[in-house]
Amino acid sequence: MFTYVIRRVLLLVPTLLGITLVVFTVMATTPGGMGASLLGKDLELRPAQRKAYEVYLNERFGLNQPLHVQYLRWLRRVLPVGFKKVGAGFPSGWTFGLKVPDLGYSFSRGRPVGTLILEALPITLLLESLSLPLTYLIAVGTGIRAAISRGQLADVGIGTILIGLYSLPEIWVGVLLIGFLTNREIIHWFPSNGLHDVLAESMPYLPHWTAAGFERGWLLDTLWHLALPLLCFSYASFAFLSRLMRASILDTLGMDFVRTARAKGLSGKTVLYRHVLRNSLISLITASSGILPGLIAGSFIVETIFGVPGMGKLTIDAVNSRDRDLFMSLTLITSLLQLIGFLIADLAYAVVDPRVTYVD
Amino acid sequence: MSIEQAEESALTDRRGGGPLANAEPPPPGFLRQAVRDTVSSRTARFGLAWLVVLALSAVFAPFLANTHPIALKTDSGWSSPLLHALHPTDVLLLIAFVESLVLLVLRQFTFLKGAGIVSLTLLVLAYPAYRFVRPPATEDYTRFRTLIAEGHVQTVWMTPIPYSPTDRLRDDPRARLLRPSRAHYLGTDTNGADVASNILHASRIALSIGFISTGLSVVIGVVIGGFMGYYAGIFDLLGMRLIEIFEAIPRLLLLITITAFVQERNIYLMMVVIGITGWTGYARYLRGEFFSLRKQDFVQAAIAAGLPERSVVFRHLLPNGLTPVLVSTTFSVASAIVLESTLTFLGLGLVDEASWGGMLNQARAGGSGFVWWIAMFPGLAIFLTVFSYNLVGEAIRDALDPKLQSRA
Repeated sequence: MFTYVIRRVLLLVPTLLGITLVVFTVMATTPGGMGASLLGKDLELRPAQRKAYEVYLNERFGLNQPLHVQYLRWLRRVLPVGFKKVGAGFPSGWTFGLKVPDLGYSFSRGRPVGTLILEALPITLLLESLSLPLTYLIAVGTGIRAAISRGQLADVGIGTILIGLYSLPEIWVGVLLIGFLTNREIIHWFPSNGLHDVLAESMPYLPHWTAAGFERGWLLDTLWHLALPLLCFSYASFAFLSRLMRASILDTLGMDFVRTARAKGLSGKTVLYRHVLRNSLISLITASSGILPGLIAGSFIVETIFGVPGMGKLTIDAVNSRDRDLFMSLTLITSLLQLIGFLIADLAYAVVDPRVTYVD
Repeated sequence: MSIEQAEESALTDRRGGGPLANAEPPPPGFLRQAVRDTVSSRTARFGLAWLVVLALSAVFAPFLANTHPIALKTDSGWSSPLLHALHPTDVLLLIAFVESLVLLVLRQFTFLKGAGIVSLTLLVLAYPAYRFVRPPATEDYTRFRTLIAEGHVQTVWMTPIPYSPTDRLRDDPRARLLRPSRAHYLGTDTNGADVASNILHASRIALSIGFISTGLSVVIGVVIGGFMGYYAGIFDLLGMRLIEIFEAIPRLLLLITITAFVQERNIYLMMVVIGITGWTGYARYLRGEFFSLRKQDFVQAAIAAGLPERSVVFRHLLPNGLTPVLVSTTFSVASAIVLESTLTFLGLGLVDEASWGGMLNQARAGGSGFVWWIAMFPGLAIFLTVFSYNLVGEAIRDALDPKLQSRA
């Protein structure tokens, strides 16, 4: 098991390198290249000034170097290990060791990429950590309901509704939710944008009563802002998981140990909840590696529509402003998170199901 | 024994049947039975019905929604401005449609052969169509409107929706953002273009993106997966790393990366881009199939009989490994449609072309607040299309999955 984990972690390295190479190549080989958009399209400069500015930018960000040099330079900055110069002479004056990775500097925002990501990442992770347990809980319930009434109207009905749910395009649901539920002219139940109210900083943390009436407080305000994004974020994976749960329960019901349990005279409930359910959950855990990409992709759409300042919105903004350093780092971190997600799902599989062992 | 004889014997060894027939079920045909099961499912029938409607509206879009009248009688006699304004694409689509109908009625060919014949005709006819069908370079939408208004026209036959998707009624600011009414069945958008006409014409984009990008994914996936599965070893190792790389970048992020840094986007680019990011599943699947097929007796027999690689791969491995791969294509057609509209919605897709995602974006960011009719109808079109593909896909999977059949 331990060696398996080590090997998987080591295999992350070439994959991550490949990812950055793919993304860098795509960015670099497109017409105009990475620098073109950066070199002040909308700056009003005289030709001489413009030229000087271009030369400055090229020097400053190394855009005049050959592509492989640019890539290797970027890699050297981002890697958490590297060579450091401590004294005179080569190679005696150099040491090899850990360093703080430098994610670069965002052209468009004028701030270090590291701080931007540290601000955005918790918001996306909050969205995902609220959404995952919620979807799993509801999905297990619906899945059981559909499976025990297999073939009846409830099962067929739930099944068709679920296919309908995951066929609903997120962009449509988002636009409709914003359009109908946050609209002063129709129904104004929810805020339309952002994560906090303007006055959220001065709010106390918990809701409370004052002389003026009910004050919702910081926590409730945040949840109120998150409600619609969460809904839009969760329904598709919920539908996917419920259908999986149903299939998994049906699979387990056909197994020998269930027949044995029934033959022992256990009640239907005990068989279902103590024998079938526990075994069916295993496939839900493996599936979590399948819905992770969906969650990350969903965050692009949901965060853009609802103006939530998380990783997804930051990525779209970085793309729109052709911000090279920001975009490369975001790709790196998103892919790293996803690979770690895959790894955790695989390991959780082995932990939950004693029949699965990873030996090499 | 000659190669042909060896091939024959290896083929009879797995109980004959067409190239796509699986080993077990006797003649009525595994595929035919699967098609019958699929069509008999009620939900799948709903899906198929919607897809047929969609295909018809894609083929006949210019005859259903057009500013140019079908027929027009003026002082100088009858004319048909609509036929004059037809594009080569419109003509080719019509030809393909008629040809498919004829092939369907004749019932002489299998589905794959029929599709091959139709695409071959299209390829052959593409050049003359683009050479000889010459629509006017600029489309003048106001001409007929003024003609009619000034009373020069005796008889006029209009299409059911008398507006082209690009007919933006520019001279008239009052035509912008009109509610659904008898004149504009689904209202007009921020430029004064007719929403119903746009939705109808955009069905072409949705259908073609879905089919062509999925086809591309399948081809790439089958080639890479086939190499990995057949040669194994170093091919397999490198291929798996490639698959991992493509799977670890969220697909939407990869698509955004590619589309964002390309200046000139058009529908072909979107097809290619969606196609080359979606092949990993097929490659993985076919590799697995090849691995398990290679151990089976009929393949071993084929190899032992000294058949050339070409025969082993194309006549024994591929026909048997391909069916499970093809099952999931319906779902990826659905996801390609969603991806295209999402990209266009984010402003990274098609520019200046009628597209469902672009219309949704206009409903959100049109600068005039929320306009429910622009939000509702294009979204509904995306939803119904994706829903239909998913319903049909589920039905096909149920029909082809032997595990489900034995339990039913």
